Amino acid sequence: MKASGKGPVKFRMPTAENLVPIRLDIQFEGQRYKDAFTWNPSDPDNEIVVFARRTVKDLKLPPAFFTQISQSIQSQLADFRAYEGQDMYTGEKIIPIKLDLRVNHTLIKDQFLWDLNNFESDPEEFARTLCKDLGVEDPEVGPAVAFAIREQLYEIAVQSVSSARESRLSKKSRRGSDYGSASKASGLSMDLVKLFSFKSSVVRKWKDLDVYEPMVDLLTNEEVDALEAREERHAR
Amino acid sequence: MEVSTKDAELELYTIPAHSSWFVWEDIHEIERREFAEFFSESSITRTPKVYKEYRDFIINKYREDSSKRLTFTSIRKYLVGDVNLLRKVFLFLENWGLINYLKRSDDGSMEESEAKVEQGTPAGIRVTATPLSMRSVTVPPLVEERAEPAFKFSPLTSYSDVFTGSKKPLVCGHCGGESSCDSAFYQHTKSIVSLCDKCFKNGDYGENNSPDDFKLIAAASWTEEETLLLLESVLKHGDDWDLIAQSVSTKSRLDCISKLIELPFGEFLMGSSSGRLRSSIPTSEDENLSSPSNLVDQMKADGQEQKETETREENEDEPPAKRKRVAMLSDGGDSSLMKQVAAMACKVGPSVATAAAKAAIAALCDEASCPKDTFETTCDFTDFAVDRADGDKGTSDMEEQQEDKEGPQDLPVALRMRASVATALGAAAAHAKILADQEEREMEQLAAIIIDQQLKKMKSKLKFLDHLELIMDAEEQVMEGVKETILQERISVLQFAFGSDGFHHLLPKLLFSSAMVTEWSVATP
Repeated sequence: MKASGKGPVKFRMPTAENLVPIRLDIQFEGQRYKDAFTWNPSDPDNEIVVFARRTVKDLKLPPAFFTQISQSIQSQLADFRAYEGQDMYTGEKIIPIKLDLRVNHTLIKDQFLWDLNNFESDPEEFARTLCKDLGVEDPEVGPAVAFAIREQLYEIAVQSVSSARESRLSKKSRRGSDYGSASKASGLSMDLVKLFSFKSSVVRKWKDLDVYEPMVDLLTNEEVDALEAREERHAR
Repeated sequence: MEVSTKDAELELYTIPAHSSWFVWEDIHEIERREFAEFFSESSITRTPKVYKEYRDFIINKYREDSSKRLTFTSIRKYLVGDVNLLRKVFLFLENWGLINYLKRSDDGSMEESEAKVEQGTPAGIRVTATPLSMRSVTVPPLVEERAEPAFKFSPLTSYSDVFTGSKKPLVCGHCGGESSCDSAFYQHTKSIVSLCDKCFKNGDYGENNSPDDFKLIAAASWTEEETLLLLESVLKHGDDWDLIAQSVSTKSRLDCISKLIELPFGEFLMGSSSGRLRSSIPTSEDENLSSPSNLVDQMKADGQEQKETETREENEDEPPAKRKRVAMLSDGGDSSLMKQVAAMACKVGPSVATAAAKAAIAALCDEASCPKDTFETTCDFTDFAVDRADGDKGTSDMEEQQEDKEGPQDLPVALRMRASVATALGAAAAHAKILADQEEREMEQLAAIIIDQQLKKMKSKLKFLDHLELIMDAEEQVMEGVKETILQERISVLQFAFGSDGFHHLLPKLLFSSAMVTEWSVATP
């Protein structure tokens, strides 16, 4: 079995659009600003300032938030850029992505497989389809789902950079059996390798269906309040 | 257009005709191209088998309940693999109508593989009261047959402005009279006040305005007098546009130039007035000034050679033609062409040439009234010119004929040129037709000869074959006779052998040989 992958690729988000997930959670003088969005790292840096100023103005936040917001964005972008020069592991890597989030009144739980090496993948498109198929009306859910996917992809991509570095260091020792190398090299778990082999089918078994099925719940106001309270307690 | 599976026992599923390439058992070229990653053997998870499983599963799942639209989310939980890739397969199947190929329902809100047509405005746009002049564009819903409906868009206001052209009339600041925007008026340099022509001339400039404040804005259209003035001044001043603009007082320089170009013969006036290629041909007296006649000769010389090679359409299309003429002049090969014109004109009979000339002039006359008038009044000069040419047929001097054609000096340039052009064209056409007829007749003759020869060949071949057949028949007869005799011999031998009964040891051999005989002969007693 051939291990897939071309030569190493420079680090970037493994999606069709190279957008970085940015999460903001700033507390100041009793006010809290929480946000999550995607940022295009090739935008000029003054855009951050523009964005921060507009956000403060639109949400009527105290002016101190302005510096905090821009600083936070800057540091997250800097982290991203720090990885940019390095090589990323390329090779098929199918990972499970889990969704477990609440957006206003909608609760979503889901799990699915994502190929990290598929540079044509599009979390936004996936989120749009999900919301449309499940009849989700709240327009904030889609972007939140896409963001959650992106965050996880980002984490794993960062991991793959470090693993690529490690593998380069330990290049001298040859790998073991073919089977092992196939799964290691291709980043698949052993079960998946077996699934995709000649004998078995790619149709999922019954027992796994529940896990991989998306679930959407609409919460009542009381439930929302209860959940929010719980989250606040966890945050502190 | 739909294709359906025919078997009555199976369920009927409709897929569009453009997807009839699909087969269950195999993967088609279209699929291979679209999903090259499955067929490149570069990964464990992407193999043809996997692709086929995905595809078959999705289609089967859809067909479990083909009245309901299958969503991607409902299917992806069943299949292991990268969800983006699964989505790609799903979209591919949907676009080709292999799944979710639903009939339209009455409520019109069902989504299909084609674009959804909504009635009314989209949700995100608020409709405000529109001014009366603006009409919104409405799209009628799709027709059942999925044929392209005939969309009728009501025209936008900008369209009607541009194409039906409602130009605002000018209102004079002083007298308040309206005039069309084509006519000349005077515009105040500092304010927006405008005065009509009459008021300006009368001296009513309005309060505190002096005549200097007003700038003449020329009218867009040319009156007869202005055109006449222009022509006269061009003949008088030649290339000097400032003087011409002065004499044609109501028009600017640029206007004059453009108007002249538009006039059918204007190009020639301009070309000749630059004074190139002055010929030394003597001119006879003229009612006009002597210099115009020279110029007129010039133009005629230019025009003849140039018009030779131009088509009629280019005559009307002045600006590009003008450049062509410049190129021609620089070549300097005019004399040979002129000779050709003269030669052709004499070859053809005079009546033909006259008729052709008349017809051509009538056609070419349609452009402007000015040249038309001159044509009407001086039509007899054409005949005159042609007759002169005819009368001089005897002389072989081409130069003279040239001169003679230029005889009537008081003709305007355009007329003479057209006459010669028409003559040349007519003559050439007639001659060509005669030649063509001749050629055709010759060709027919030759073809007939060829056919004759072929027939003769066939006949002799047939004769030969007949002869052969006769010989073969004779041979056949002989063979038949030989066969008969041999058979008789055999029969007699057998009879003798069986009859005598003394040849027991010969019996097996005879039987064997008789078996042979019965093989290839017909009857034995």
